This record gives sequence, structure tokens and C-alpha cells, in this order.
Amino acid sequence: MAAIAAGLLYGCAGRDSSGPFPLPVPSREVLPNGFRLIIHERHTSKAVALQLWVGVGGRDEAPSERGFSHFAEHMLFKGTDALEPGFVEREVEGVGGRTNAGTSFEYTYYYMLLPSARAAWGIEVLADMAFNARFDPVELDREREVVFEEVRLGEDNPRSFLGRRLYEMAFPGYPYGFPVLGDPAELRAATRESLRGYYRRHYVPENMTLVVVGPVHAGEIRGVVARAFGGMPSTGFAREPLPGPPTTPSPRRLTLERPGRQAYVGLAWVAPALGDPEMYAVEILVHILGGSRASRLNQTLRERARLVSTISAGYGALQGGGIVSVTAQVEPKDIEAVEAAVLEEIRGIGEHGVSRTELDRAVAASEAERVFGRETVEGLALAYGRAETVWSLAGDREHLERLRSVSAHEVQAAARRYLTGDYVRLALMPKGPGR
Amino acid sequence: MSLRSVRAAVVIGALGWLLSPPVAFASAEVIRRQLESGLTVLVQENAAAPAVAVTILVRVGGRWEREDTAGISNLLQHVLVKGTTTRSALAITDEAERMGGSLSASGDVDYSEIRGAALGRHWRELLALMADVALHPALALAEVDNERRAAANGLRNRLDQPFPFAYDALMARLFPSHPYGVPVLGRFESIARLDRDTLLAHYRRFYRGGRMVVSMSGDVRASEAAPELGRLFAAVPNGDSGPETPMPAAVAALDRLVVTRPAAQAQIMMGFLAPPIGHSDYAAVKVLQTALGGGMAGRLFAELRDRQALAYSTGAVFPARISQGFLVAHIGTAPVNAQRSEAGMRQQIERLGTERLSEAELARAKRYLLGQFDLDRRTNARLAWYAAFFEIVGVGQHFAEAYARSVEAVTVDDVQRVARTYLSAPTVVRLDPSPR
Repeated sequence: MAAIAAGLLYGCAGRDSSGPFPLPVPSREVLPNGFRLIIHERHTSKAVALQLWVGVGGRDEAPSERGFSHFAEHMLFKGTDALEPGFVEREVEGVGGRTNAGTSFEYTYYYMLLPSARAAWGIEVLADMAFNARFDPVELDREREVVFEEVRLGEDNPRSFLGRRLYEMAFPGYPYGFPVLGDPAELRAATRESLRGYYRRHYVPENMTLVVVGPVHAGEIRGVVARAFGGMPSTGFAREPLPGPPTTPSPRRLTLERPGRQAYVGLAWVAPALGDPEMYAVEILVHILGGSRASRLNQTLRERARLVSTISAGYGALQGGGIVSVTAQVEPKDIEAVEAAVLEEIRGIGEHGVSRTELDRAVAASEAERVFGRETVEGLALAYGRAETVWSLAGDREHLERLRSVSAHEVQAAARRYLTGDYVRLALMPKGPGR
Repeated sequence: MSLRSVRAAVVIGALGWLLSPPVAFASAEVIRRQLESGLTVLVQENAAAPAVAVTILVRVGGRWEREDTAGISNLLQHVLVKGTTTRSALAITDEAERMGGSLSASGDVDYSEIRGAALGRHWRELLALMADVALHPALALAEVDNERRAAANGLRNRLDQPFPFAYDALMARLFPSHPYGVPVLGRFESIARLDRDTLLAHYRRFYRGGRMVVSMSGDVRASEAAPELGRLFAAVPNGDSGPETPMPAAVAALDRLVVTRPAAQAQIMMGFLAPPIGHSDYAAVKVLQTALGGGMAGRLFAELRDRQALAYSTGAVFPARISQGFLVAHIGTAPVNAQRSEAGMRQQIERLGTERLSEAELARAKRYLLGQFDLDRRTNARLAWYAAFFEIVGVGQHFAEAYARSVEAVTVDDVQRVARTYLSAPTVVRLDPSPR
């Protein structure tokens, strides 16, 4: 039950048909009511991953609904017409499994990891949660307080605080510029009717995908899914399109004081959206810039100049637009020097390009990310579910090959186009030891 | 599907499962070899993904440190991966990343670790790189300086964040005058004094065959990997550095420390000394910890979060330790709810000693505990680590099966008994937010 706020899709989901990991393409089918089902029989584990993906997140919320996607996600565990609050967790854990959920700007997903013999049971329970959540007013009042605690927890973590505020600065007024956890005032005003109405609008068969990965028999799963999800009528739902692409924000610099000893700085640029032809070059660029220990920023600023304790670059490729960010932990006195050095590294790539070695390293990292991310059934299910919900399985499969085709010239051009213009800068300055 | 039928299916299904034997999610045969130096080699074949992972564990860490050397094991680990006699820091990083891999190291209380991973086709290069890092470190002065600075920054980080801050404060109260009470990163003063000569002496004393385990899991043949490991690590010095210095007895300060500092949430932690791994009460305390604060159906979560809405995160941990274990219950809550949360946590802990668990609660705790243990042993990195850990703490490669049997044998009376034995007097640390 967590909000997934930043760095959402760096590396994207997966790249199935290429490289030395030729996993079979999963079966994908669409039920008559629009519900999508992805099955991958994988017999390397006794556990089955069930993931229900719903196309709803922060991007779908009206101003009066900020935080509703995440709040609703919490409420799905608080009882259905048939099941008492706490039943799902208790039963899943009682068979040695685990369950939870996550909400981002673009999707919400629920997962269960179970012994494979429990797959049918888990699918029926997920269907019940998806369509029959109770939204009991007493539970709703309690869970609202739990969400506020989640907000406070994030406030106390400087890195998550920095990431969230950077998104707000980079996407002012755009759906990605508002926290997934929501606005306290709107959450306070949420009623059973308003939240349940939001749930009913978005939790419809044509806005859902179930991913099943594990030692299962596809035929049996299809039968269970047809019974559990196939009977719900389609509603003609179509997801509201995002507003036009976010504009590059005006240069903005903000310094905030926080209790503590360490300073943090973040720089952010608006970048290509998920699926944009230039996405691949930007992904390689960001890896070379600050995606690993051997990256330019790490070598220059941490290992040689010793200006930072940590530094990294990330690329969040979202449906409506992307963001490239560079974040670092620094001594307060070094913030300006770090900013200048980051810009100098970017300028260097723009003027002189990158090497073949750097390109190869970035592709190897992406390949490895795919392999290691898919060692488990839940890792594989996550890749499929995310691709199906925000992109496409085909795009996901071709991803590595597209990265391999990126040239040094394209990386250089991407640096010039996306990272030499306006950007936002946020500095978190320590207000003292605080005790 | 009617709602009634969903419920019936769920209830019947659950009962059916509880009546059936536990299912292990993971199983892998571990090939074990011992080199002449005493170094132990472990290999597991796992073709689930074209990847390999390697863990080198060395029996050295916080428990072998003094106040003036606190943090030395962790610092040494970080410097090891920053250069060998033939490879620069950048060459190591570059080589690892070209394999689609990574290489890192860190210290802990009972052991220190070097961990590496790569695409499976590079397994030989990965082993060669890790052997070089472990056996031929340069310990360059510049890298010692840089990593000393990084360690100090890591300590500052922990001080800046409420949860690590409260956790470190609790450890210091649970383990005064005991090495487990000192952060693995060390102290600012000790780190500042550690120099290359001290690190080199530490390395030469502890990096010996009898104290080392090299464990590999992945898409390799054991018949090829084991001899290769034997060849690469043949030069490890013999022996195990002599008899161990006895550990001081841990005597917790049974008090309540309240710290006020700016934060959004209050943090409350209650700690107790508990048995080490291998102790006859270990399994019963694991079940106790799970019933109290394991998962979303544990008592702390169900009562303090679900019923009273006091927290987003609450739970209990009981990590495996060689010398002396400990159990910590935790809650992060709104400042206005701190008093209620502390009282609620105390009540849930006391209940374990005064009321027996129900059989259903006991069964859930056991299934969840063993299920998570199995689920955690599936990736190559975790498989390699667990095999090495079992070896380094001396419980052997059949620990998982023996542990599962011990957990299954725990009764409600056992849980109540260990609750009374170990949870009678808490050490409390409470962080109260002041205005930011």
C-alpha cells in the first residue's frame, strides 16, 4: 500500500524477444467485456504471482480528487460485501504468501504471491476486491489517518521529499506536478460517495489487466478468470486523455531548509514521453551521465573532485512527458559548485559526444536490469503488467534492440536538445543538527 | 459469481491449506568444497535466469571491533573494491558494468561481505574480478581518505533520518559496552583515526581461509565453477587468526529514552535481548515476533494500524545474530498519537505473555514465517547469500530444513513461555518531534 512517485519507468519494463534471455512471449487475450489477461507459465518456482493492474493513478484525478487513486487502493483491503476487513491479508499470509498494492501517476496494481495451488482462490479474491469493495464509512475515516501517516513518513525522508518536490517544480500545473498521496484538504473532504464513485468509474473491466505468472495451467486460469472477471459488464469506459505535453518550466530555483546535517540538491529537465522515438537515446544518455558507478557524474564529482557523497541521474518516461533528474547529497557549501560541474559534464557530452565503451556499458546495464528484474515470477509479472497498462508488450519486447541501435551521435543530440535548456533546481539546506 | 460463493470458496480454501503440509517455494542443492586454506566454496546451479551472483563472506565485523576501531570492517570492505594491485577503482567498476553486473561490499556485525553479480555468460570474469578484489587489494591512501569521508557522511545520514536515528539510539541502550551497540559505520572519532596501516593489519588478520566462504548461485555448472573457484582462491592464507576473544555479556539498559528533535512523525521503539541463531528458543521467538509484528496480519499492524489508525508503518524484527539476538517492535506515528501508540504497543507485547495465542494465529504466524523465508531464497543473489550465511554462522547447509521443523514444532505454550522469558522488560527509545 504505497505510492510510487518518482523514477517510475527508468529502464522501462522489458525486452523479451532480444538478448540472451529468450523467454516465451506470454499469452495475452481480451475478454468480451474488455478485460485483459496475460498468462506466462513458468515452472522455475512453486510460487505464482497474481497482479491486477488498473489504469488509474494521479494523472486521472480532478482537482477535487487529488489522492483518490491511492486512497481507494487502501480501501480495497478494508472489506468487500463478502469479506471482512483484514481477511485478505490474513488468508494470504496464512498460506505463506504476501499481498500488497502500489499507486503511481499512471496505474494502480494489487499483487498476491501465493503457492500455485492457491491461484484460483487468489483470482476470485482479487475480482471481489476489484468490483465489490465496501468503502465502509468507519473504515474510511480510519484509513484516511493511515494515509496521513504515510505522508508524514515521506516528509521525514530527505530523498523522497526531494524527489516529490522536484516533480512539482518540473511539472507545474500538470498532473505529474501533484503528489500521488494527494492533498490533505481533498482527502479530508472525501466521502464514501465521492471515493466510491471514483472507484466505480475507474475499476471497470476494460480498464484492468490480470497478470498470472507461475507454475499454472493456462486453460484452468482462463476458466477461473472468465468466471471471476468475465461476467462484469463493460461500461464503455475510455480513459481521459492527458493534457498536451508539459511545457518546459521556466527556470526556477528553490532553496528549502530542513532539519539535519546534510544538504541535497536536485536538477530536473522535461524530457521525452514514454514511447517517444527519442526515449531510447535519452535512456542511454542518462545512464552514461549518472546511471552507474562508472558514470561520468560519479567519476568526476564523487571519485575525483570529491564534491558529493552520492550522485545519480534518472529518467522517468511517463505517458504524458518525461523527466530527467540529477540528485546529489553534498556539503552545503558545495551546492553551487556541484550544479556547475553537472552542467559542465552535460556540456561535455553535447560538445564531444560519448564513447563506444560507454554505449556498450549502458546497453549491458539495461540487459542485466531486465534479466535480474525477471528472476522471480513477481518481477516478470510486474514487467508485463506495467507494459500492458502504460505502454505495450510489443514496445517492451523491442526495447533492448532499440537501445542497441542508438548511436553516439543520437546520444549527443539528445544531450543538446533536452539537457542544455531551462531546468529547475531544488536545494535542501540543513537547518542545524536539530537536537 | 455470487458474493456468498466467493466467501465460501475463500473459507474452504483456507482451511484446506491449513490442513495440508507446508509447501516450500524454493529448493536448491548446494555443492560444498573446502580448500586447503580452510576457505569454503559453495555452488548452486540455478538455470532460472541467465545470471550469476557471488557472495564472499568473511567472519569479521562489528563484534570484533573496539571503540577505537569502530567501523574498521565496513571501511575496509569499501576500500577493497576501490582498487587492486593491478586494477584501478575505475577499472573494477568498468569491468563489472561491462558484464552487466555490479560489485560492492559492506560490513555488518557478524560478517563482512563482497557481493557481485553478472550476466551468466560472464561468470568466469566475475569470479576472477572478485578474487582479485578479495586477495590483492591496493588500499590506496586516496581511496582510504575518500571512503572515510563517505562513511562519515553515511553516519550523518543516519542522524538526519528519524528511523535510523531511533534505531541506533536503541541499539546503544540495548547493548551498552557491547560491540552490537555501535553502528556498523563506526563513530566519527574512530573513522577519522583509521589509516591505511590499520586497515592493512585488519585485512591480514581476518582475510584468512578459515574465516572465508565464497558462495555462488546461477546459470553455471557446479562441475566447472567449483574447480575454478578453487583455483582462483588457492592463494588465500591458511588459518583463522587464532582463538576468538570472548564477547562481553550483553546487559541492556532497561530504561526509557525520550529524544526531542524536528520531524513529522514520532518514532517509538521497544527492544529486548533475545536468543541468538542456533539457540533452542530461536524458532519460538521467531514465531512470537511474527505473531506480534510480521506482515499485515501481525498484531501490531492489525491492532494499531487497522483498528486504531495510529500508523502507516509498524511491526517487529528479530534478526539472526551469532552472539546475542534482539527483538525490536516499532511504530511511526503522528506526534499527537505518540502516547497512545506507546501504550498500545506495550499492551500488545504484554498480552503475549498473559494470553495464549489462538491456534489459528499460531498457524498463520508459522505459515507466514516459513513462506517468507522460502520466498526470500529465490534470486541468485539471495541464494548465494543464504548459503554463505548458514556457513559463516555455523548452522550448516541443512539449516533451512531443521529450522522449518523447529518452527512447525512450536506450540502456543512455547510462545507464551518465550514471551515471558524475553519480553518482560523493554528498553524504550521514543523520538518526539519538535516544531520543524
